[in-house]
Amino acid sequence: MERLGDEQLLAAVLAGEMAALTLLVKRYQRPLTGYLERLLGGDWPLAQDLTQETFLRVLRQRDCRGQRPFKPWLYAIATNLARDHFKSAASRRVAPLDPLLAENLVAEEAGPEEQALAQERGQTIMAALDTLSEEYRATLLLRFSSDLSLHEIADTLDIPLGTVKSRLTVGLRRLRAALSSAEERDARYEREGSR
Amino acid sequence: MSYTPNESGEQDKRDTALTAALHELDATPDELREWAPVVRRLDEWSGHALTAVDEGRLLAALAPYVPAPSPVRQAIRARMAQRSGQLGWLIETARTQVSLFGLDFWLVSALITLVGVVVALSNALPDQGLILRASGPLLAYLGTVVAFRGREAGTLELELACLPSPLQLAIARLVIVLGYDIGLGAALSLALWAGGARDVLALLLSWLMPLLLVAGLALLLSLRLPIQAAASLAYGGWLAFLAIGVTPLFPALPLTPLSELLLGAVGLALLAVALLRLHTSMWRLLPIA
Repeated sequence: MERLGDEQLLAAVLAGEMAALTLLVKRYQRPLTGYLERLLGGDWPLAQDLTQETFLRVLRQRDCRGQRPFKPWLYAIATNLARDHFKSAASRRVAPLDPLLAENLVAEEAGPEEQALAQERGQTIMAALDTLSEEYRATLLLRFSSDLSLHEIADTLDIPLGTVKSRLTVGLRRLRAALSSAEERDARYEREGSR
Repeated sequence: MSYTPNESGEQDKRDTALTAALHELDATPDELREWAPVVRRLDEWSGHALTAVDEGRLLAALAPYVPAPSPVRQAIRARMAQRSGQLGWLIETARTQVSLFGLDFWLVSALITLVGVVVALSNALPDQGLILRASGPLLAYLGTVVAFRGREAGTLELELACLPSPLQLAIARLVIVLGYDIGLGAALSLALWAGGARDVLALLLSWLMPLLLVAGLALLLSLRLPIQAAASLAYGGWLAFLAIGVTPLFPALPLTPLSELLLGAVGLALLAVALLRLHTSMWRLLPIA
C-alpha cells in the first residue's frame, strides 16, 4: 500500500481503510504542520489544531476535490483555514514573536551555542516573513519550505502560474530587504550595547 | 528543501534544488546571488518535531470520520480472516477460477486425450509414443490460451484490482490446468494398461513431459508475445521438433524416457521462471493507454 499514490490512498480511506489513512497522515502530517507553523508565525499548537481540522475537512468534504490532485487540495484547505484565522477579529495576529515560541523552534539535539544561534536565526526569519502580507508568505513557504512545484502552488492558491512567479519574485525581494534591515538593526544594537 | 536538515550530502542536494527553484523564476545572476541566502534561510528554519504521540492523537481524532467499509469489503475481510493457511487460500482461489474454463475446454481436453489413447492402442503408428508426444502438449497449448486469455481481452487491470495478486491467480490457473491434465494422464495410463499396452509408464512420460515443457515455454514467451502467438510458437516448435525427429535426415533425436524426464524438468523450471518474471514484469503486461 506504501506505493499507492495520494489519490489512491484517499480513495481507500473513503472506502473505509484505516491503514490508508495512517499512511496519508504519515506522509503529510509533518510537512503540513510545518507549513502551518511557519505561516502562523511559529504558533505550534494552532498549527497542530489546523492540521487536524484540515484532515477532518478532507474526510468531510471529499466531494469538493473534483479533479484536483490531492496535495494542492490539502494545502489549499490548510491555507484557507489559516486565512480564516487571520481574518477573525478575535485571533488577529500579533506581529512580535513570542520568545518562548522561538525557543521551542530550535532542534533539541543541537548544542547550547547552536541552539542560541538557530533561535536567533529563527526569530529573524520569522520576523522578516511577518512583514510580508499573507499571500506572499504562503507562496514563499509553499515553494521554499514545503517544496510544492509552481503548478501545485497555482492549484493550491487558485491563481495563474504567472501570478505564482510574480509573487515569489516580489516576495523574495521584500523578504531579502526585511532580512537586511533586521540584520542592520541587530548590528546597530550590538554596537550600541558594546559601547 | 526538506523540513529538517541532516547530512551534508542532503545539504548539497537541497542547495541544488533551491538554485533550480530560483532559476524557474527567470532570475538574473544578481538576483540569484542575492536570493540564494534568503531561500537557504527559509529552508534551514527548523520547526517543531512531531512525535508518535502527535500522530496517534491525530489518527484518533480522525478515526470516527472514516466511512465504514462497504458490505462487500467487509465480507472480503471476514473471508480473509477465516482463511486457513496459504494452501487453503490457493485452493480457494483456484476454485473461484474454475468457472474461467468453459465446458468446451474440459471436453476438448478429454477428447484429445481419448484420441491419443485410441491411436496409441491401435498401433497405427510404428512409434506408440509419437501421438502422445504430439497430443499431450496440445493440452498445454489449450490450457495456456484459455487460462491467460484475459490479458488479450484487456482485463489485466481488473485482475490487478482483485484481492488475490496476479501471481496467485496465475498459480491458481496453472494448478487447475495441470491438475486436470494430470488427472487425464492418470485416466490415460489406466486406459493404456487396460488396453494391454506395454511400457505404460514410458507412454505416460511421453505424454506428460512434453506437456510440461510446452506449458512452461508458452507461459515464458507470453511475457513478451501475445498469448495466442506464444502458445502457438511453443506448440509449433515442439511439433517441428517431433517432425524433424521422424525424418530420416535426423535419426539422432531419439526420445528416451530419461530425456523426456529431462524435458519435463526443463518445463517445470520454465514455469517457475515464467511465474517469477510475471511477478516482476507486470508493467509490461499492462494495457498501454
